[in-house]
Amino acid sequence: MASKLGPLAVIVGHELRSRLRDGTALLVAFVAPVVLATLFGVALGGDEAPLRTTIGVVDDDGGDFPASVQREAMETEELREVLEFRQFPDEAVAQDALDAGEIGAAIVFPAGFSDSVSAGEGGQVSVLESVDAPYAGAIARSLVDQISALVEARTLAVKASLEAGVPADEVKLFVEANGAEGPALRISGDTVAAAEVDMTVHYGAGMAVMFAFFVAGTSARSLLTERQLGTLDRLRAAPIPLWTALAGKATVGFVLALVSMCVTWASSVAIFGTEWGDPVAVFLLLLGHVFAATMLVLLVASRARTDAQVDGFVMAVSFVFALLGGSIVPVYNLPDFLQTATLITPNGWVSTGLGALAEAGAGVSAVATPVMVLFGIGIAAGVPAFLRFARGRFA
Amino acid sequence: MTAALSCENLVKRYGDKTVVDHVGFRIDPGEAYGLLGPNGAGKTTTISMIVGLLRPDAGSVRVNGIDVAEDPVAAKRLVGYVPQEIALYPELSARENLRYFGRLYGIPRRRLTERIEEVLEAVGLTERGDDKVQTYSGGMKRRTNIGVALLHEPKLLILDEPTVGVDPQSRAAILDNVERLVGDGMSLLYTSHYMEEVERVCTRVGIIDKGRVVADGTKRELVSELGGTDTVELVLDGDVEAAAEKLRVVEGVTEAVVTGQSSVRLLAVGGRHLLPGLLAAVSGVAQVTAVEVIEPDLEAAFLHLTGSTLRD
Repeated sequence: MASKLGPLAVIVGHELRSRLRDGTALLVAFVAPVVLATLFGVALGGDEAPLRTTIGVVDDDGGDFPASVQREAMETEELREVLEFRQFPDEAVAQDALDAGEIGAAIVFPAGFSDSVSAGEGGQVSVLESVDAPYAGAIARSLVDQISALVEARTLAVKASLEAGVPADEVKLFVEANGAEGPALRISGDTVAAAEVDMTVHYGAGMAVMFAFFVAGTSARSLLTERQLGTLDRLRAAPIPLWTALAGKATVGFVLALVSMCVTWASSVAIFGTEWGDPVAVFLLLLGHVFAATMLVLLVASRARTDAQVDGFVMAVSFVFALLGGSIVPVYNLPDFLQTATLITPNGWVSTGLGALAEAGAGVSAVATPVMVLFGIGIAAGVPAFLRFARGRFA
Repeated sequence: MTAALSCENLVKRYGDKTVVDHVGFRIDPGEAYGLLGPNGAGKTTTISMIVGLLRPDAGSVRVNGIDVAEDPVAAKRLVGYVPQEIALYPELSARENLRYFGRLYGIPRRRLTERIEEVLEAVGLTERGDDKVQTYSGGMKRRTNIGVALLHEPKLLILDEPTVGVDPQSRAAILDNVERLVGDGMSLLYTSHYMEEVERVCTRVGIIDKGRVVADGTKRELVSELGGTDTVELVLDGDVEAAAEKLRVVEGVTEAVVTGQSSVRLLAVGGRHLLPGLLAAVSGVAQVTAVEVIEPDLEAAFLHLTGSTLRD
C-alpha cells in the first residue's frame, strides 16, 4: 500500500505547491468563501430579527378545523413572532390581496372540509402563493402539509373502524377516543421552522455548494493542462498505477473544495452568528457534497479535449445544478416538475439536509439519507470517470 | 536470450481505421533499433502501446520478458520514455522537473540528488539547471526532456523523434549522448524522420508504412534488397509531373517520385547506364539540367519498400 500511496502523495504535493505558487489555492479556499459569506450575511441580514409575514385565511368551511389551525399556530411561540392571520370572505379577494402584496400567502379551506375529515372521507386544503414572498409561502405550505398528514391519518382510522364494524354514527367519537387527532390540531413550531431556514444560511450555503463545483473543477482543468503540456503522458508512462494521476488531482480539488465550504460555513457562523445546525451533521453534508461535486466534474471533464472546454463544462454543470438544486432560487419557487428534478442534484440534497437540520434537536440521523445519496452520486459519477482515464480515453 | 523489447502482432484500431496493423519486432539487450516511417505510419501509436499509454486491441508487448498488460508497473520501471513533444513543467527549473519525476519513479532521496547532477552533466545543463525551463532554447528543452527519461537508469530507452526543431549543435549533442548510452549497453528504440540519424545511431531498422512493418533488418540487409538499384536524382526545367509519368515507364525504373518543384527521384536498376534513355524520355515535356546517381542507401531502400520518400 505504501508503494501505491507514495506516488499519490508526490502528485498531491506537486499539485498543491503549484496551486499555492499561482495563488489559486488561497483564493478559492479562503478569500472567496469569506467574501461570499460576508456578502450574503450583509445582504440578507444575518442574525437580525426574523421576517414577519401575514397569511390570509379563506374559511368556506366554517367548521372546527380552520379555527383550530389558527388557534394552534398562534399558541406556538416561534410562529407567533413571525406570523399573523387575516380573514378573507372568498378566494378571489384573497388572491387580490396577495397580488397587491398585502399578504404573503393564503390558505383556502373548502366548504364541508371539517365534516368530511371527521367522517373519514378526507379533504384538501389549497395554498395561494406569491413568488414575491417565498418565506410566507413556505410557512403556509408547511402548515398545510401538517394538516394533510393529519387528514390522511384520520381518514385511515375511520375507514379501518368502519370495516371493523363500528356504526357510522359512532365512528367520530370512536376514533377520537382511540387516539386519532380531531380538529384540535397541534401545530409543531419545529416543523414550521424547517420551512424558514434562515435566508442567510440558504443563500450562503447555496453559493458555497455551487462554488464547490468551480473549486473541484480546477482539478479537472489541471489534468487537461497537463495533457497539453505533455506531462500527463509522462505520468501515465511512469511505473505507478494508472489511477494515481487522476486520484492525485481529484484529492487536491476535493480538499480545497472542502476547505472552501467549511470556511464559508465557519465565516457565516463567526461573523453573523447564523446557525447551520448540528456541526457533525453539517460537516458530513459538506463532505458528501464535495465528494459528489469532485466526481461529477471529473466525469464531465472526461469528455473535454482542452482546458478551456473543461471550464465551459464545469460552469454549465454548476449553474444548471445550482438552479435546479435551489442554490440560486428557493426550490419551492420552482414549478412542480423542477421541484422533482431538484433531487437529482447534489445541491438539492444539501438543501434538503440543511432544511432537516433547522429542526430543533436534529442531528446526524436527520441527514443520513442526503449524505448517503450524495456519496452515491459521487460513486456513480466517479467510477466511469476513472474507467475512462484508465482506458486512455480521458485527458 | 530474453529480448529487451518484443512486440507481437500489435493492433490498434480507431473505428474502422486500423492505424497499427499486426506490428511485431524485437530488440536484443544493448541493441539500437530504428523505426522509420512517414508521418501517420503508426510509429507514435506503436510507441504509445509499448509504454502503456494506449491499450492494444490485439497483440502483446514484453519488456525484458515482462508483459506490459499483465504487470505494467514492473515493465514501465525498465523503460525510459522520451515523448515526441517537450513534456516538462515550464514554470519549474530543470532540477525541479527532474526531482519531481525522479520521486514519481521512487528513486530514494539521496540517490536522486546524485542522479540529478549526473543527468544534468550528461545533457550539458549543469550551469542552467536552476533556471526555469520556459527560459531555455528549444535544444536545451529537448536535452532536459531526454534527461528526465534517463534518471532512473532504464534498461530500454525509447526516443520518439527526439531532434525535431533542434539546432544543429544541440542535435549533435543529443546524438552523441544517445551513442554513448548505447555504447554503455542500453537498449534503444529510436524513431526519426532523419534517415542519417537512424543510420548513425541504429544497428537494425524496421520500416513501417500504413501501420505495417514492411521490412526489418540491418542497414546492409535492407539495402541489399534493392539488388543493383541506384537512386537517380534529376533536376528538371519544365513540367515535372509529366516528366515523372514518362520516367516511370522507362524500362529499368522501379519508382519515380517528385521531390520538389524541379526535382524527381528515381530508383533504377543500373541507373548509370539508363541515363540516355531517361534524358530521351522527358524530351518534349522538360529539360534535364542536372543528374546525380547515388549508390544504394537506406533512403533508397525506404523508397523501394514504401513507394514514398520519408518526408512525404
